[in-house]
Amino acid sequence: MNIVVTVKQVPDTWAEKKLDAADKTVDRVSVDNVMNEMDEYGVEEALKIKEAHGGEVTVVTMGPAKAVETIRKALSMGADKAVHLTDDALHGSDALQTSAALAKVIATLSPDLVITATEASDARGGVMGALLAERLGLPQLTQARKVTVDPAAGKVSIERLADNGYALVEASLPAVVGVVEKINQPRYPSFKGIMAAKKKPLTTLSSGDAGLDAGSVGLAGAGSTVVDSQPAPPRQSGTIVKDEGDGGVKIADFLAAQKLI
Amino acid sequence: MIVDNRIDFETYWRVEVRTVLTWTDEEQELRKAVRRFVEAEVAPRREELEHGDLAPYGIMRRYSEAFGVGDIAIERFESSLRGEPGPAVTAAQTLIPMIEFSRYCPGIVTSMGVSTSLTAGAIIKGGSAEQKERWVPDLLTIAKVGSWAITEPDSGSDAFGSMRATARPDGDGYVLNGAKTFITNGPDADTIVFICRLADGTEERRYATFVLDRGLPGLVQSAPLRKMGLHSSRTGELSLTDVVVGPDRLLAPAKKKSGPATSDRSSAMATFVKERASIAAMALGIIERCLELSVDYARTRVQFGRSIGDFQLIQLKLAQMEVARLNVENLLLRYLRQVDAGVRPSLTEASATKLYAAQAAMQVSLEAVQVFGGNGYMAENHVEQLCRDAKVLQIYAGTDEIQVSQIAKDLLRGRR
Ligand SMILES: Cc1cc2nc3c(=O)[nH]c(=O)nc-3n(C[C@H](O)[C@H](O)[C@H](O)COP(=O)(O)OP(=O)(O)OC[C@H]3O[C@@H](n4cnc5c(N)ncnc54)[C@H](O)[C@@H]3O)c2cc1C
Ligand SMILES: Cc1cc2nc3c(=O)[nH]c(=O)nc-3n(C[C@H](O)[C@H](O)[C@H](O)COP(=O)(O)OP(=O)(O)OC[C@H]3O[C@@H](n4cnc5c(N)ncnc54)[C@H](O)[C@@H]3O)c2cc1C
Repeated sequence: MNIVVTVKQVPDTWAEKKLDAADKTVDRVSVDNVMNEMDEYGVEEALKIKEAHGGEVTVVTMGPAKAVETIRKALSMGADKAVHLTDDALHGSDALQTSAALAKVIATLSPDLVITATEASDARGGVMGALLAERLGLPQLTQARKVTVDPAAGKVSIERLADNGYALVEASLPAVVGVVEKINQPRYPSFKGIMAAKKKPLTTLSSGDAGLDAGSVGLAGAGSTVVDSQPAPPRQSGTIVKDEGDGGVKIADFLAAQKLI
Repeated sequence: MIVDNRIDFETYWRVEVRTVLTWTDEEQELRKAVRRFVEAEVAPRREELEHGDLAPYGIMRRYSEAFGVGDIAIERFESSLRGEPGPAVTAAQTLIPMIEFSRYCPGIVTSMGVSTSLTAGAIIKGGSAEQKERWVPDLLTIAKVGSWAITEPDSGSDAFGSMRATARPDGDGYVLNGAKTFITNGPDADTIVFICRLADGTEERRYATFVLDRGLPGLVQSAPLRKMGLHSSRTGELSLTDVVVGPDRLLAPAKKKSGPATSDRSSAMATFVKERASIAAMALGIIERCLELSVDYARTRVQFGRSIGDFQLIQLKLAQMEVARLNVENLLLRYLRQVDAGVRPSLTEASATKLYAAQAAMQVSLEAVQVFGGNGYMAENHVEQLCRDAKVLQIYAGTDEIQVSQIAKDLLRGRR
């Protein structure tokens, strides 16, 4: 199996996320950056499939130079090689542009399976998997809580998470599969993996190398623009209900007034 | 590097200093990975480990498996049996987990180090192939817990001189008697390396080392002793009354005649050097954590209408903590870079590093308690635990006073 897994470097989940004052893009400079947590599940699933069926796992990311840290983490976990699409010209690309760029890179790798997370914790668009599938012309299976591949039959089937259970869905390979956090428990990078990561093949591509047309990427050509943003208003202090033997009734009245019960 | 007679600091910082006395990419990656494990697995159980009855061995096993540490140790061990080098383990791979665990529970480091390094190491060094196969693999994977026992009620710093525990030859075996105390993992150990005097010992051979298993008739392992700190490591007494052992439990003596006379001394020195560096790693973990907590508290604690970080007396404490942190980190990085370059730091340097790091951890953690005021004295605040834990760094692996005399002796001999 030739598996491609997409990863993204995002501001630390716990850090206060800010937009750059000048261009309203996510500030990735003044915060600690980490691998998008959900991507860890994608990497873990790719490694498991490789362990079961053999093959190779290639990590693909688009991001600033620093995103190489996230690549290294995926390589430490056990991925075999990586492609890093990085170029100042890519800064500010929106989801459409990013998907076009990533699809171009992924297509050159001729994968049997592309694994994505459901969303990244910074922008939370949740559209990358679908956009990639469309651009690559591949079937997409989403919200997978379990993935089973049958390389001989050229099939992949998943348990698709639903509100009240799961649906069994299958597709022909190659396909794009989006995984959810329930799917596995990502491994820690082993000490050996950490030491080996630097020696694994890493291809760094500029937008030109990837054959992207300069005008098609970056903030200037983006189809959508963040015009303004406001921080969420600070939480209002709540109502204190004094229990004088009728606390339960007061709470029930309150909930009823909010039409919650 | 020098542009218009001025140092180009950006390049200087990036190229020179980064490669010499800062953490490499791999080391940072290692720190992050272990920190994540510690924050997920140790931090939420800290109360139980420190104030309850949770033994640390389960967490140690999970750590060993999660990072493949046991596997590497086994590979190295098996290679060494075949006389091959095996996969390399860098000093950073050993020391970084000690830093990270010590940020929360220095006791786990002690427990793990005694079991997988000290105990397994003694058997690897003195054991026959058969003895190694019998005891070492389970210790390396933490399937079994090990203890290493030399200290006695009347014999501490002068470990060999005052030793009373004895082995009396009996047929082709021995009868062991004696009491050991302050033994890390003592209450729980499955495998014990027991060091004693040889009755009727000769000039060549005064002492002997045996490997004991839990449950041997006459061997009693006490309940954990109550102690000031390091509660996540369980410490106990061992008492041996007429414990009969066969020659299969006797490890080879330190070689005196065969081989160059210096080889034994040299290997003992290497062990001391490593052990002392590991104390510096533990100290760094304690210092880092105390400093972070203190800075946070100084920012948020308001008295007299201002955050206490506005008061110069508190600023002085924070600044001194940072100086200590930098110094200990530098000493440790110096150690790592020397080892990376294939140079073994001298015993004097290792002793100086241990002495400074232990004292710095004690001072920093005491000051952290002070910054926290009454809160610092309360067990629910982490600095309270770290302060009690720090004290042991000045006592075990050679007391401060023993380090001082080691350093001074070498200086006066004209050696460093
Ligand atoms: C938590 C903990 C875990 C331990 N784990 C183990 C273990 O697993 N196995 C084991 O065998 N031991 C263990 N020890 C014992 C430890 O190694 C000894 O406590 C240490 O060697 C000091 O010996 P002592 O306690 O007998 O103190 P002593 O040697 O009695 O020292 C008392 C004081 O006298 C000073 N002193 C002694 N000699 C001199 C001198 N020549 N010059 C100046 N001052 C001197 C000391 O520095 C100290 O201040 C542990 C101890 C602790 C606290
Ligand atoms: C065991 C124990 C028993 C106690 N019993 C009682 C009791 O019975 N009744 C009672 O009322 N209280 C009691 N206390 C509370 C005790 O009096 C306070 O802890 C003490 O006054 C310090 O206040 P704090 O803990 O709020 O620390 P803080 O005042 O918050 O001090 C935090 C740190 O800031 C420093 N700091 C504060 N202001 C300044 C300044 N202007 N300049 C420089 N540094 C400053 C302090 O020195 C300290 O290092 C007890 C405390 C303990 C630990």
